[in-house]
Amino acid sequence: MSKIKSRALSPEELNRFGEELDALRARTLATLGQSDADYIRRIVAGVRWLGLGGRVMLMAGAILGGTVLPVLLWPLCILGTVLLGLSKILENMELGHNVMHGQYDWMGDPALQGRTYEWDIVGTSDAWRKTHNYSHHTWTNVRGMDDDIGYGLLRIFPEQRWKPFYLFQPLVAVVFALLFEWGVALQDLRIGRWFAGKMTGGALWKMAKPVVRKIRRQVLKDYVLFPLLAGPFFLPVLLGNIVANVIRNIWTYVIIFCGHFTADAEVFPKDSVRNETRGHWYLRQLRGSSNLTGGRLMDLWSGNLSHQIEHHFYPDIPANRYAAMAVEVREICARYGQNYNAGSLSKQFGSVVWRILRHAFPSKPGRARPLMAAN
Amino acid sequence: METAIRQPTWLSRLNALWAPPAVLDFWLSRLNPLWSSTRTLARVVERRPEAEGVTTLVLQPNRLFRGFRAGQHVNVGVEIDGVRYTRSYSASDMPRADGRIRITVKAVEGGKLGAYLQAIPVGSVLSLGQAFGELSVPDGSAPCLMLAAGSGITPMLSLVNAQAAAGFPQPVRLAYWARTRADLVQAAALRALASRHPNFSVHFVLTGEAAEAGDELEGRIDPRHLATLLPGGEQVHVLACGPHGFVERAREVLGGHDLSFQAEAFSPPPRFVDPSDQGRVRVTLLQSGRTLEVARDKSLLEALEEQGVKPRHGCRMGICNTCSCGKTSGATRALADRSVQHEPTQALRLCIHAAQSDLALEL
Ligand SMILES: Cc1cc2nc3c(=O)[nH]c(=O)nc-3n(C[C@H](O)[C@H](O)[C@H](O)COP(=O)(O)OP(=O)(O)OC[C@H]3O[C@@H](n4cnc5c(N)ncnc54)[C@H](O)[C@@H]3O)c2cc1C
Ligand code: FES
Repeated sequence: MSKIKSRALSPEELNRFGEELDALRARTLATLGQSDADYIRRIVAGVRWLGLGGRVMLMAGAILGGTVLPVLLWPLCILGTVLLGLSKILENMELGHNVMHGQYDWMGDPALQGRTYEWDIVGTSDAWRKTHNYSHHTWTNVRGMDDDIGYGLLRIFPEQRWKPFYLFQPLVAVVFALLFEWGVALQDLRIGRWFAGKMTGGALWKMAKPVVRKIRRQVLKDYVLFPLLAGPFFLPVLLGNIVANVIRNIWTYVIIFCGHFTADAEVFPKDSVRNETRGHWYLRQLRGSSNLTGGRLMDLWSGNLSHQIEHHFYPDIPANRYAAMAVEVREICARYGQNYNAGSLSKQFGSVVWRILRHAFPSKPGRARPLMAAN
Repeated sequence: METAIRQPTWLSRLNALWAPPAVLDFWLSRLNPLWSSTRTLARVVERRPEAEGVTTLVLQPNRLFRGFRAGQHVNVGVEIDGVRYTRSYSASDMPRADGRIRITVKAVEGGKLGAYLQAIPVGSVLSLGQAFGELSVPDGSAPCLMLAAGSGITPMLSLVNAQAAAGFPQPVRLAYWARTRADLVQAAALRALASRHPNFSVHFVLTGEAAEAGDELEGRIDPRHLATLLPGGEQVHVLACGPHGFVERAREVLGGHDLSFQAEAFSPPPRFVDPSDQGRVRVTLLQSGRTLEVARDKSLLEALEEQGVKPRHGCRMGICNTCSCGKTSGATRALADRSVQHEPTQALRLCIHAAQSDLALEL
């Protein structure tokens, strides 16, 4: 494993660490206002215009390209597909993910309420609020409690027990990336438990019903209704929709895997969270998360998950604030001798790929590094 | 008209697939800020000063607004610095043929919306709730006595105008309390009505100035006023509207003279609440219809669990938003910094807030 980059903190240091981060939180909350509201509404507008642009181009490419102007078929359809993919990425990440965390609840705008927002993806928002907002954010990288560790499919950390199945994981990982939204949709159903006979078919069906309804909706919309609009020229529209969804799948997969599975990210045993203090919780979030450098563009298109550390510290603070908060967070971490895990997309994703390849084979965990120094 | 309550048909389901309400509303609002498939909105089409710190607004609602009766109120929502605030205002005129609704708003010192609406630009779009309220002039021939104080005059203006349009079929007597003459709203119009209709009389009661004109009285409401307002000591239907204290006092003063007593208290919810965290408060759970007493010294989540309620929850530390639910009234205290929140909200996180006053929660 990589060399030790963070020192263990004494209980008092850990308390002060938590207090400083809490103070930053309070300072930021006190200044939420019009500019944040304007920001998220601009994002909504961006999602809508990109979506409209994408769909119109696809339709025009399919119909014009199939009739009078064959040269337009490819350029218009490619452009339309890319715009549609970008719209979906923006909607899922900067809009849906952040709104569902309740980041904009304070505005009191019924269209931006975390508890009711429904996003444009086959997974239901309700399941996401449970697996992601609760399990993943509360128990980040705690083995047996955070289902996001390898999503039950991949062995990312040597602490996960090796099984021969993991030998196939380089292939599994690629398929999972292409179908990521379906993985998210099915994650909470735990179909594995049904296969293993630990859950009755009836119980599974009860849980699956809303998921099936959402899947039907999405499939009807993207793969039936919009293609049908193009009449006999439905095929390019259908393909465009499929590719747009896949583009979004790959991108969200890359960003999310960079958040917690990079070289320096750590996992924690279950007993590490017993009677966890605020400071300890912050520290665990820090050690389990990693940021992406890349400036404003990366922030926007990653839904500000480029600030995964800040997002895990403050999941309910509007994401458009993370960049400014990061300056202080970084400084606080430096003062407490804590590694602030940030790197370029290629470096971070490269280390994710390495983990997937390396831990397909048996591997042994390094010595556990305590978060807190003994008294 | 009422698309919001129509049963979903296969056609509307199909429409919802192309464009879910959020998407549809986005495009509708680009075409016209007043258009929406789900939200009742209104445009400010006219604004005029009415008296010292009092402004009248004429609102053009969109098609989702189901109209109102004289004497009713609407909830008006405005976004100030990114946050939406909602307050109730009474219609200050009877329903009009063009469907517009007039409200008359007084600026309250230190208040949010009252002050904001004084200068709201014409053309702004507000959110509007459906009309509510039961205030009305009872049918029959018995006289009606209207008592209004301060902004309590607004529903009376609406009711008086409706009676005027019907030619005052029964006697109506209005007594209107204000601090000074400069605070009076629509005094000239009321006087003109009184001079035209023998069945209508108006008295202005000043609490901060001496009475001069023949239709003026002075002082806070007390039995002396009754002698002027009801010289024959007859039995009347009473409608009272104003601050909480005024309405209570009116009830006492009128005991025995009233055939019926309708009242509406306009005071903003009390802002003073016991700053300590001792004691218990009453929590109304709106969805399950229960009312219970909970402790103020711990998170609402724990306090409710103590009483056998099991709100859904996750992290219990304010990060997952699972426990959040709507709060329609009452004040809460954030456990982290003891700050107090008075505004109603759609998303109160129960695990990091304690009850400060009596509450109504959407649970
Ligand atoms: C059915 C009904 C009908 C009504 N009709 C009318 C009408 O026709 N016309 C009209 O003008 N009003 C009417 N009202 C009153 C109206 O709804 C508002 O209460 C009023 O406009 C004040 O709102 P605001 O936002 O200006 O003040 P708010 O912001 O609600 O403040 C109210 C008071 O609380 C104080 N305050 C604010 N914040 C704090 C704090 N943190 N700590 C301590 N004190 C604080 C303020 O100084 C102020 O005195 C009606 C009310 C009801 C219930
Ligand atoms: S239980 Fe997670 S925010 Fe309250």
